[in-house]
Amino acid sequence: MKVDRRSFLGLGLGAVAGVTVSPMMLKLTDDSSILSQTTKLWPWALDHPPLDGESTYESSVCSLCPGACGISVRKIDNRPIKIEGLDDYPVNDGGACLHGIAGLQYLYDPARVKTPLKRNGDGFEEISWDDAIAIVSGKLGDIRKSGAPEKLACIIDKDQGSVSGLFKRLLETFGSPNFYTMPSLESNLELTAEALHGEGMTIGFDLANADLVLSFGAGLIEGWGSPVACFKANASRKERHAKLYQIEPRLSNTAANADKWIPVKPGTEADLALGICAVMLKNNLFKGSATSAFTGGFNKLAAQVQQDYSPVKTAEITGVKAADIEKLATKFAKAKMPLAVFGKGRGDGAQSLKEMAAVQLLNCMVGNLNKKGGTFVMPKAEYLEFPESSLDGIAQKGMLKEKTGKYVNQLFEKVNQTSKPVIEALFVYNANPCYNMHKPKTVKQAFEKIPFIVSFSSFLDETAMEADIILPSHTFLERFEDVATGAGLAKSVVGLTKPMLDPIFDTRHPGDSVISIAKALESGVAQNFEWETYEECLEGVTAGIWDSLSEDGFALLSEEAPSTAAMVNVSYLAAGPATVKAQGDYKLTLIPIDNMRLISAGYSASPFAIKTVADTVLKGKDILVEINPLTANGLKEGGYATLATPIGTARVRIHLNEGIMPGVIGMVEGLGHTFDNIFVSNKGVNVNDLIGPVIESGSGLDAAFGIKAKLS
Amino acid sequence: MSEIENKAENGSTESAGECTTGDTKDDKGLGLGVIFFIVAFIVCFLSGTLLFPKLLYSKKEQPFNFDHELHVGEAGDCDACHSLRDDGSFTGIPKLETCLDCHSEEPMGETDDEAIFTQEYVVKEKEVPWLVYSRQPDCVYFSHAAHLLGKDEMDCASCHGPIGESTSSRPYEENRLTGYSRDIWGKNIFGIKKNSWDSMKMDDCAECHKEKNDQKGYCFQCHK
Amino acid sequence: MKQENTKTHKFGMVIDLDKCTGCGSCMVSCMSENNVPFKDDESDKKKSITWMRVYKLTNGKSFPDTEMVYLPRPCQHCAGKGGHGHSPCVSVCPATATDYGYDTGIVSQIYTRCFGCRYCMGACPYHARYFNWWDPKWPEGMEKYLSPSVSPRMRGVVEKCSFCYHRYQAARDIAYSQGDKNEIPEENYQTACTTACPAGAIVFGDLNNPEHKVHKIVNPDPHPDTFNKHVVGKSRNPNVFRLLERLGTNPKVYYLSEREWVRKAGDNYREGEWDKIKNHYGATSTHG
Repeated sequence: MKVDRRSFLGLGLGAVAGVTVSPMMLKLTDDSSILSQTTKLWPWALDHPPLDGESTYESSVCSLCPGACGISVRKIDNRPIKIEGLDDYPVNDGGACLHGIAGLQYLYDPARVKTPLKRNGDGFEEISWDDAIAIVSGKLGDIRKSGAPEKLACIIDKDQGSVSGLFKRLLETFGSPNFYTMPSLESNLELTAEALHGEGMTIGFDLANADLVLSFGAGLIEGWGSPVACFKANASRKERHAKLYQIEPRLSNTAANADKWIPVKPGTEADLALGICAVMLKNNLFKGSATSAFTGGFNKLAAQVQQDYSPVKTAEITGVKAADIEKLATKFAKAKMPLAVFGKGRGDGAQSLKEMAAVQLLNCMVGNLNKKGGTFVMPKAEYLEFPESSLDGIAQKGMLKEKTGKYVNQLFEKVNQTSKPVIEALFVYNANPCYNMHKPKTVKQAFEKIPFIVSFSSFLDETAMEADIILPSHTFLERFEDVATGAGLAKSVVGLTKPMLDPIFDTRHPGDSVISIAKALESGVAQNFEWETYEECLEGVTAGIWDSLSEDGFALLSEEAPSTAAMVNVSYLAAGPATVKAQGDYKLTLIPIDNMRLISAGYSASPFAIKTVADTVLKGKDILVEINPLTANGLKEGGYATLATPIGTARVRIHLNEGIMPGVIGMVEGLGHTFDNIFVSNKGVNVNDLIGPVIESGSGLDAAFGIKAKLS
Repeated sequence: MSEIENKAENGSTESAGECTTGDTKDDKGLGLGVIFFIVAFIVCFLSGTLLFPKLLYSKKEQPFNFDHELHVGEAGDCDACHSLRDDGSFTGIPKLETCLDCHSEEPMGETDDEAIFTQEYVVKEKEVPWLVYSRQPDCVYFSHAAHLLGKDEMDCASCHGPIGESTSSRPYEENRLTGYSRDIWGKNIFGIKKNSWDSMKMDDCAECHKEKNDQKGYCFQCHK
Repeated sequence: MKQENTKTHKFGMVIDLDKCTGCGSCMVSCMSENNVPFKDDESDKKKSITWMRVYKLTNGKSFPDTEMVYLPRPCQHCAGKGGHGHSPCVSVCPATATDYGYDTGIVSQIYTRCFGCRYCMGACPYHARYFNWWDPKWPEGMEKYLSPSVSPRMRGVVEKCSFCYHRYQAARDIAYSQGDKNEIPEENYQTACTTACPAGAIVFGDLNNPEHKVHKIVNPDPHPDTFNKHVVGKSRNPNVFRLLERLGTNPKVYYLSEREWVRKAGDNYREGEWDKIKNHYGATSTHG
């Protein structure tokens, strides 16, 4: 038999025909089209398509900011997949801010500290929890042995709640008065209350009921106070026929949403408040029944204010027309429920006590204290019952020593001034001073002079990077904690944060870390920490409200206006404190801008939040600064420029905005992070690098509202 | 035709001598070509029909045999284990927790499968990694509630067949190309279906929807 | 047309621009609800996938008369000319990867069907559609928060807002299990942006249901517009408008503002045109 071409042809054709008639071709065509559609071509997803399962909701409280909103976490087979606002929660009733909604991203943040770390040259090495606690307690033991326990300092976000209470108790029983909190709206409210109404008080604003809100730069929808509660109060204005007048140099979101925007020269809000006060005095627009009870020299203050802040003079200082000042004063005084709000931007960070007190004076003069729709002057929410602490000899001696500085900025100043270490060891929890204090360079210098720094951060942020030991904490989704909503709300609520999943890394509850450090110290300290775990401590110290905390998820401490009259002492203002001036001689003024989509205090905004930032704020790696076209002086939209202040320079791009006062440069807060997270770091400039602290005489606060600057 | 072909071949062949000799003798080559054609056709057709599916699908054994018939007898109908939750979502294959309503660490029967179940899963508190024959692609949304409680109140067998009568678990066959179960296309490689449960592709859904609703439905009815 | 749900819905939304604060909660809620990915640089907004995007509008006046407003823009779920379901995107899709659901009024997008020609993006007058130029990538571990209710997308396909259709599916499942096959209570089907909005600026519901809040605010005209027969469902509320309404795309997303300049910003008017239209619809201005 001869196999020739024809046979081959037959073979080939037969094969083709056979395959064609068989179902193979059809099946392969179908399969390859499915293949092209499936995630199988998609490298990461092959083994992990999101698995379906039972859908449940669990409630907790968000502690990303002092707002402390109730949240509802949707879970699929116990795997959290979405955070939403919790309906009927007394703070936010269903709404949520973008940072809270993006909360799950913090769990898996690339910059999370996954295990205890110990400094090793420029980097860190992983160590065990036992070793880490032993190193910290060993160092602390040495400090106590040296007889100078006051050389242990602690910086924490707030002086509220049981975790803060444990840190404070550790310092107290150790023998150090050097317990500091970062400047926050709460601390500013307390300082203002202290200046006008007495110690141990705080101020709440009944925004949801006031019918005329006069806001001195308070970013009521920029994240001021408890953001969602403020959003809700603001949104209900339309139905309530209430008005909002916003006083600030820039058309912020709050100003744009307000019924009237009153542009004012940066840093002159206090003068405008006193100018309004003067008009009220001149035209007898104040409540005599209220002012007659003022102590501390009201007559002197009245005379002085009328002399220094006549409408014409105030107009000159603030840039607001004299006639407008008179109109504003009349409107405010004649409103049924007027309310003046202070705390520029988010009310945290640098603030002037003069400004806050002057605005609060307006509230005092219209007599809205402790009235519906007014300001509530109330004692600080105290719901914690720690057992009586017993101090040993060393601790007693240490606690008699004076605090190194009144505020945290003064602590750093002292550390930098002296050559001998005034602080031997520093604890930092929930605070990022190396990023969000003015001129962080000097904070870092101070950190370098402190021999031993322990960070309790969940993330390797700017401050944690300066630490010698990092004892990583669970995130708010992995732990129990009592969270009080202070933040200027009229009502006082404590919520319970609950773990939504098992910790995903080798982290611990900061409360547990403190307890184990204390237990490893000598008995004088250790005996004050009888709890085995933080949870046991939490249940014990919140015993009075534990039932409602554990059952309802929150405890409502107070809601109505306090029934007692508030005392008003105007001596601070009567002494005529000077208005803080911006540092430098340049012609323009740089001011920080609070943007709801970014976070200025604490860690950082999430990747989702950064994604929502407009391209007129951040473009690629460049930050854009806002100037009025009248200030542009040849600078073009989107063009590059050098921004120089007495503190530093930065390369920026220009965004021309008609909604900013000529002569003012606005730069957003919350960018320019330098830690290891490609989604949020190395984008733009940290505005704090360009602004230096200006200490207000009298209060000792850093009150730098901005700084003089030039653009070229 | 062959002549034309041959001529063409002659014209184009370089070694013309050999071919010409073969050509002049007879038409034996054509006959051989036909035979080759037929043989190749049969071989390829059969391999495309019989061998190809074997290559296309990889067989995976279930973790252990599951006797549906026994469970239906003991526990009741399908919804005794495969139920709708309060929110109308479908539980699918039950979790270990459901099994433990009846089972415990003590084996209930004497079979090897029962022993594997108790030792490997109940004692170790591990979920059984069942392979789901009817698992649809991720882009598919299927509401059991709509089909069970909707206007037609279909029964399980309409789509799943008489699985409740099975006494052992057949191997799970996975399409090597797409990664999906063979049950979606159906056992029959030609795609011919005799029963409503023989295949579970989009066309099968659309066919029934068209019949019951006069139209195939909108994309989002079955996709997500 | 026989449907399992015999009632035909027309889901729509009205956004109160006077209440919107531009906070961005809706954007993030949408992204985390719908498995939207993110990249290290999202500042090129043409390549940044945001089903819900908040735009900033200004009145164009110089300091100190400048005014500003935020405008959230989801997919407008156009009903097309005359409301017949010929949405601009649906009409051009060669793959039938997007269709108009006559039972809900929702425009779908099926990722596995899409082959990425991007005609729909060109056809959409609202820039509501986005193309996946890259495969999504999540930092290690973060894929654990992905929702099973929405398919993650792959490189090379278009995606857009679905009015959280999976929430409608879930609401229907509840209705089935409770025996009310046709009744979906208003609160059971709400989009992720609606529930997240802390200002309560977004109202979502069935435009066909007079009981629903969205219907009460919008009060859609059942007759075609006398000016343009292609326009249907126009709001009879003088403060309510739609984007580029005169195109006849008939979006189901409505906007509400008391400020005249904001309403005027919803379309491009030639000189004099606005006054004619303004008077025709009886709009009254409070802000000038």
